[in-house]
Amino acid sequence: MTSRRQFLAGLAATTLSPIRSWASVGAPDFLAAGLFPDGSYRLAGLDAQGTILFSVPLPARGHAAAAHPFKAQAVAFARRPGTFAVVIDCGTGSPIAQLEAPKGRHFFGHGVFSADGMYFFVTENDYEAGEGIIGIWDAETFARLGEFPSGGVGPHDMRLMPDGNTLVIANGGIETHPETGRTKLNLPTMEPNLAYLTLSGTVQDQMSLSHRLHKNSIRHLAVRQDGLVGFAMQWQGSKAEHPPLLGLHRRGEDPRLLSAPEQDQSTLQGYAGSIAFSADGATIAITCPRGNALHRFDSAYGAFKDAFELQDVCGLGSGADGLIFTTGTGVFGELTNTDPVIQTRAKCQWDNHLIPIHSPA
Amino acid sequence: MRILTLVAVLIVPLAAQAQDRAPILMDVTETHILPRFDKLPETTGALVSASLVDCDPTSPALRASYDAAFDSWISASHLRFGPTEVEDRAFALAFWPDTKGFTSKALSQHIAIEDDAVQSPEAYAETSIAGRGFFALERMLYDPAFAEPGNAEYRCALIKAITSDIDANARAMAEDWQSYAPNLTRPGEDSRYRTQDEAMQELFKALSTGLEFTADTRLGRPLGTFDRPRPNRAEARRSERSLRHVELSLIALRDLAARLSFDYPETAADLDAAFARAIENAQSIDDPALAGVADPQARFRIEALQQSIHDIRAIASTELGPTLGISAGFNSLDGD
Repeated sequence: MTSRRQFLAGLAATTLSPIRSWASVGAPDFLAAGLFPDGSYRLAGLDAQGTILFSVPLPARGHAAAAHPFKAQAVAFARRPGTFAVVIDCGTGSPIAQLEAPKGRHFFGHGVFSADGMYFFVTENDYEAGEGIIGIWDAETFARLGEFPSGGVGPHDMRLMPDGNTLVIANGGIETHPETGRTKLNLPTMEPNLAYLTLSGTVQDQMSLSHRLHKNSIRHLAVRQDGLVGFAMQWQGSKAEHPPLLGLHRRGEDPRLLSAPEQDQSTLQGYAGSIAFSADGATIAITCPRGNALHRFDSAYGAFKDAFELQDVCGLGSGADGLIFTTGTGVFGELTNTDPVIQTRAKCQWDNHLIPIHSPA
Repeated sequence: MRILTLVAVLIVPLAAQAQDRAPILMDVTETHILPRFDKLPETTGALVSASLVDCDPTSPALRASYDAAFDSWISASHLRFGPTEVEDRAFALAFWPDTKGFTSKALSQHIAIEDDAVQSPEAYAETSIAGRGFFALERMLYDPAFAEPGNAEYRCALIKAITSDIDANARAMAEDWQSYAPNLTRPGEDSRYRTQDEAMQELFKALSTGLEFTADTRLGRPLGTFDRPRPNRAEARRSERSLRHVELSLIALRDLAARLSFDYPETAADLDAAFARAIENAQSIDDPALAGVADPQARFRIEALQQSIHDIRAIASTELGPTLGISAGFNSLDGD
């Protein structure tokens, strides 16, 4: 296992290398963090068949990553409440910079680049105030430039809307403090929302669920090219209830909440881990590792399509044709119109998220 | 037709196969759970009576009944599922941690406008959850900031409204636990738990989250960091009950752990020894409000107490969990 000291030493030893584009690096199609057989936590680049092209050690358990829009660079995040993120040259597989959360802040595990690749936005916690923050970082030097409020508590996933000028943020609503680990401090009063902010932090729209669902934490997002936003939720209320864990939202409209028939919905334990649209955008899916299930819905009509049983499934992304999923048992699989097909089974445990890299044509 | 495909083989730990859990489920329900929820309304009923007799915040009888009722809640509060969870009852009894000072705000608001919700239990139950329960009552009885404002008559009515609401909540829980109990003792088609293992897992979760809450929140919040300890964040520090809550929760969790591990004597012995060490640590500290977190010497002993609870957690998850078929899924346990 790489110690923090070794990791930083490796970082210092890395020299500046020419900027490469995604196409030049034998472009990975996906990024995923995982626990490897030697006990190290790594970020891996995978091709469309799930073959590991490279892997880079991380100082601790990873969560998600963000891919630069055109440079072959990715930022890998620690699991919350992490205070580091590592910028990786995906050509050499070497770390080239590290983001350290400023004093009084920690990262939630997600971030996104601006469309021009100039800025990097990160969901952060101002934990003394218990308020969500979006940190603004220079995507060239990875220096911190500033911050603005996220429009809620506990911002988790964040995406850039197709207009390139708007951030959509899943303010999960749950207050935590690093001194009490992952203890949820405000469940009875939590109020999650989906917030649309300009890149300078002006709140343009905010969508909240009805009070009856105020304990449904909005955590993860998927955005379709036409601006339709899919959001996955984690229910913090009574386990006797089985509320929807997936929603679709279009700015200015009411959200649509999608649920499987009770017989299936009741097995999910109120927990969705990842969400993605299929390659053609016609399907939206969630993974549910506690229920060992993947559910697909029609994204136009919201109808439940089917459920698949997959042990510890969590990572999910759109593939060339349909959806790609990963599991905590090392599976990298593809789901098209037929049954899931296991492409490979790696000797590692894939972490929560699978990040597709869309290299420009 | 729904397509259901088994892609990966479910790996069931050997120990979890075909073992009759009925005796343990019966034992935990009848001797651990139900007696705690029977006792709770007895003590909250006495609390109401005491507040009706004398609502002076300094009344020894009122404070003693507050202590007794709070004790019985803390000894049951790890059983946070089923009827305890319905309508946010657990939070309505104990709104803590209160990171944004909502309890103080809710009470100040009632007092400032002389909110007549205090006249009826139904109306009071509809007010802010932060102004209900033991922590609201603690403010009214022990916080000097609430000894003066408004008029004394209103403050008295507010205290009575809070005690009556606590009691109504405790009675509702106790009643519902009677009807919920068969779910645990008879898992299957008509139960919330389809299998004995599912019911056992619910009880194991109560044990592990109870330990986690005591170590990370009851102790973690006041401990803060060495450079920035947070004595003012200790639970129920105004009535000097912080350390007592740690001890009471450990005693309750020890009882639950012993019953859950009954079929595995070695695990039971390991757990019991670890609980004995932690309880001994707690009892050796003479610092009821955990104010010592700010003093390096005293802090060391509170950290040692926290570590001894982490030790129990480790035994529970590595020895007891696997015997109950708790799968250690990489993602399913991550919760993010």
